[in-house]
Order: sequence, then structure tokens, then C-alpha cells
Amino acid sequence: MNFDVVWNNLPYLLWGAWPQGPLGGAALTIVLSLFSGIASAVIGLVLGVWLFMARGIVHTVLLLFLSFFRSIPVLMLIFWTYFLLPVALGFSVPELATVVCALAFIGGAYLAHGVAAGLRSVGGGQWEAGISLGLGRWRVLRLIILPQSLRRMAPSFVNQWVALIKDTSLAYVIGVPELSFVATQVNNRAMVYPAEIFLFVAAVYFVICGALDLVAGAVAGKEREHTRGDKAAKTAS
Amino acid sequence: MRRVAVWFGASGGSKHEEKTMKLGALVLLAAVFVGGAAHADRLDDIKKAGVLRVAAFDSNPPFGYVDEKSRQIVGLDVDYAKAFADKLGVKLELRPTNPANRVPLLTSGNVDLVLANFTITDERAKQVDFSVPYFSSGQQFLAKKGVLSSPDQLNSLRIGADKGTVNEIVLRRDFPGATIVSYDDTPFAFTALRNGNVQAITQDGPKLVGLLANVPDKENYEIPAFTISNDYIGVGIPKGETALVEFVNETLTELEASGKAQEIYDVWFGPNSKTPLPRLFKIGDAKTN
Repeated sequence: MNFDVVWNNLPYLLWGAWPQGPLGGAALTIVLSLFSGIASAVIGLVLGVWLFMARGIVHTVLLLFLSFFRSIPVLMLIFWTYFLLPVALGFSVPELATVVCALAFIGGAYLAHGVAAGLRSVGGGQWEAGISLGLGRWRVLRLIILPQSLRRMAPSFVNQWVALIKDTSLAYVIGVPELSFVATQVNNRAMVYPAEIFLFVAAVYFVICGALDLVAGAVAGKEREHTRGDKAAKTAS
Repeated sequence: MRRVAVWFGASGGSKHEEKTMKLGALVLLAAVFVGGAAHADRLDDIKKAGVLRVAAFDSNPPFGYVDEKSRQIVGLDVDYAKAFADKLGVKLELRPTNPANRVPLLTSGNVDLVLANFTITDERAKQVDFSVPYFSSGQQFLAKKGVLSSPDQLNSLRIGADKGTVNEIVLRRDFPGATIVSYDDTPFAFTALRNGNVQAITQDGPKLVGLLANVPDKENYEIPAFTISNDYIGVGIPKGETALVEFVNETLTELEASGKAQEIYDVWFGPNSKTPLPRLFKIGDAKTN
């Protein structure tokens, strides 16, 4: 094992050609993960609540929309958006926006089902209690149901985010220089050190995903203490 | 691509949801854009934007690769791209590409030019336009020493080729007995050769020479001295952009006349370079096949 190749290319693997060129490497992976993670959470939450509350035709349309995004591979969606949208609709989407949108919609579609399931998991008695207090459906949802179910959904959010961090590597298909893409470039030039280079890449993904897990764990722990100590903390989390 | 448009269009018309109405409006808006884009001239757009977007290889020395020190894409193709940008007086923006991505990048309008060891073929010319050739090379093979010496042996070998290249097509057509394994790019194919997954890999000769120059144990490999076809490399240009084609051809001819083309060649293939190769083809020479 000769890790000199990693050491010599460390800046390129960590932040690409920046500041002389665009941001790349591990830094770009983190940026892509952050944006698509936040966007997927928002999409998942909004669509999940909507799926739970909607009835009839709206519910069906929403289900179709979600199954569309759940059933196409991320790679295909990225490829379609980048190469076919300009031909079909006449405008092109920048690379980074393409990747963030694809990951956000697919991640959001998965999360929406998780959110809807989480909302369903809160017993019917809670709804009856809220309504008998004179609250409307949306206020019951906001004040009573959501705070309880969000805690139950937390692990599936973290799962989805971890999957999403790893899926940013699919951005290679449109030439976005994220971590695995720049690692391949370095490997292609160095030729004979694939084990060292890709062991390093695996370690970086492990660190990024591990850090997310730790942060999520710490937030969840604080949240538990908070709610135990103070019942009024219903808007948190 | 047509199917995508129909899918959006149909859902936009049949439902009365606000959301789908918006989608319908989006399609309408897009149609306006398409109409507008069809008349625009790419050369004018480039000048207006002040940026020339060029797709180049990032893993194929000496045509295009990421330099370890500067962390930028450099190479023979990049030097030509720079010459185009300089003549236009615009900024050069490079996008990394791989063999299979070159045509989609042009047809989708995501780049203005492709300079990535792009072999001119009739098949590709249906989808994109080409400049006059600025480089010529023969299709050759790289194998461990003593494995391959003549083309007759090819029919009994496992051979690695790059996905989406002319090399792959020629090999399939002319050597039906060969087992062909397709890889994403040449270094990938070379790794397969190293590991014994294939017995030879095929690419344009100069590309193989460039690859071998960077291999630490190059004494174990050889490029047998025969070619199975002659390829001409041109600049890929979006279909129907006549002004842009004219500009590229004119610039290439000028570069040859001024000696700049020779200069670029010598940097990467000259006697003092890592991969010395005699220059047999000049811009403007007649094609021999």
C-alpha cells in the first residue's frame, strides 16, 4: 500500500480545482448532500402531510406522482433531466441543479410515504381528543399529531439522508466533479493505485455519513430531554 | 424524448388541479422557448455570453487529463479549445466528458463544442456536425508482451474496448470471433488488462502511447505495430450551426498556416515530449480512406 498518491492529490480529492476552478471533491459531495437533503425533507414533509390529509382524486394524483419518482432510478432521472429536458422543452438545467432536483424529488417521494405512515401511526383517539377540544383538522395535525409522529419518523429521515449522500456519486453521469468522480480522474492518471485511492474515498463517505448519524443522534437525544422536561416544546424537532 | 413531452402534455390537459394547470403552462412556456431557440445562432450566443463551453476528456493523456499540480484539465484538445476561445475573445469553460457522453452533450445543447478525440463518422454526423480533421490516428492494440503480433489473432482473443467509441464498432464489425468487453474509458479497460480480465485493449494509437507513458511497469506491455483502421479526429459541433462550423474550420486552417498547430502538437507529441510521435497528418490534408 502506497498512500502517497492520496497525499499528493489530497487537495483535489477534498475540494477539487477550487479556488482556481469550480468546487469539487468531498466538499462538493457535502454541498450536494446538504442542499438535496434539506430539499428532500421539505418535499417529503409537505407531500407526506398532503398525502395523509388528501382524499379522492387529489390523493390518487399524488400517489401517481410519488410512485413515478419512486420507481425511476436516480441515474435515469439525472440523465433525463440533463440530456433530454433541453431537447424536449428547449431549456437546459445546470448540472448541480439537475443533481439536487433529482435527489430531492426521489428522496422526497420516499420520505413522503414515511411521513404519511408516521402520521397514521398516531392513534385515532388523539384525533378525537383534539377535535372534541374544538380544534380544526389542521390544528390537531400541527399541535398534536405532527410533534408525536416526527419523532417516530426521525430514523427513516436519517436513513434516507444517508442513502442520499451516497447517491450524490451518481452525479458522475453528467460530469459533476464530486468525490467519486475526481477520485476516478486521479485513479485514471495514477493508473496503479486503485486500492489506496478508493479506500480513501470509502473512508471519506464513512466519515460524512457517520457525522450525520452523530448529529442526528445528538439532536434526537436533546429533543427527548427537552420534551420530558417541558411539555410545551411541541413546535421543536 | 418525445415521450417525455407527451407525458407532461397529457397530464396538463386532463386534470383541473391547480398544480397540473401550472405544469400545462410550463409546457406552453417551453414551446415558446423552443420556438425562440430554433432561430438563434450559436456563434452569436457564445459571443454574447462571453463563454465558450467545451467538453474535453479528463482521463486521456495527452488529449485531455487533469494535471496533478494545477488541478485543471490540460492536453492537446484543450490547447485547441483555448485557441478557439482566444480567437473569439471569450472565456473558456471546460466540462469533463467520457466517450459515451459526447453526442448527448452536443444534442442537448449543454456544450458548444466537443474536443475529445472525437472520431468523425457518418453515423455520428447524422446527429452532430464535424469540423475538418485536426488529428489522425490508427486503431491499435495494447497487450502484455508476446500476446499479440498480428491481426489474425484478434478473432480468438478477449479484447477490452471503450463504450461508445468507433474502435468498439470497427472491432465488432471486422473481427466477429473476438470477445469484446466494453469499459467506460481507456484507463478502466487498462485495469482490466492488468488484472487479466481481457488479453488486449484497443484504442487509437496515440491514446495508447499516452496511456502507456504513464504506466510504471510499461516494460511489460507493448503496442503491436499494426493498425486495423484509420480514424480522423474532428471538433464536434451542434447540428445545423453553420456559422460555428465555418468559424472552427477557418480557425483550424489559420492555426496550421501560422505554425500554431505544429506548436501544439510538439508540446504533447513532439520529440521532447513524454510521448514522441511523428506528425503524419496536417490540418487540410486529404483523407486517405
